[in-house]
Amino acid sequence: MSKKVCFLLCNSMYTLDGIRSTLGLSVENQYAYSVIMYNELPELSDYNKENIDWIRDMEGDVLSTVDANVERHGMTKITMEELGQKLREMNIIIPYGIMRPLETNDNFN
Amino acid sequence: MKILHVYRSAPTDDVKKLVAAVSEGRETESFDLNVENPDYDKLVDLVFAVDQTICWW
Amino acid sequence: MAKSLGIFVTSPQHMRHVMGVVKAAKAKGAKVKVFFTWKGVHLTKCKQFPELCALADDVAICVDSYKKVGYDPNDVPPGLEPRKMATQAQHGEILEDYEYYMTL
Repeated sequence: MSKKVCFLLCNSMYTLDGIRSTLGLSVENQYAYSVIMYNELPELSDYNKENIDWIRDMEGDVLSTVDANVERHGMTKITMEELGQKLREMNIIIPYGIMRPLETNDNFN
Repeated sequence: MKILHVYRSAPTDDVKKLVAAVSEGRETESFDLNVENPDYDKLVDLVFAVDQTICWW
Repeated sequence: MAKSLGIFVTSPQHMRHVMGVVKAAKAKGAKVKVFFTWKGVHLTKCKQFPELCALADDVAICVDSYKKVGYDPNDVPPGLEPRKMATQAQHGEILEDYEYYMTL
């Protein structure tokens, strides 16, 4: 049975790979969501844009609490309050990677 | 619905808010992994006793 | 029926927790699968990794991540079956086939 899974991506060094993991579950017929918190993504490669489109095609979504990601990358806006409510619907919640309150975006690869 | 919150580090204010939202009206347990010698036996017992485990950062 | 536990490892910081949880779960007769991805694959270089592979019922890693963080995919970590240098489908398998789930 398909599950609802939410990846919480709060560290810029883990964000793009977290989106890739989200897609990995989408193609396994799970309802998979990424939520990008705190950090603003730089220009995305075609590969990463396609990953986001594909997640949406598979009935998942890529959301962000950061306005710049909504405006620049078309991510779905979510507030922290809304996120709390959304997480209640999830079967699996994945605080991904490590928590580090990064203010910079200097480690994308 | 019974939820286990596992903390790998001290929870930030935002984590505390998310935990509160997820936990509202539900039975919850918590386990602190951020100690010198965690009781893994107890942790696994808790994991097997709940419907959902969330391992916060 | 024996319980089953899937562990999704995304942090490079918690090998002691991975080992501790797997040992405790196995001591209770549970079936355990561990899947390492992204920077979590650095843990394949820990000295306990072969022991983990022997202890758990199934250990797999994301080979794409392994390559991206700088390792040679031909350099299979000791203890790991080469066919378990795999894809994110291993994570999907945990969601499908394992009753309990943790992220470390």
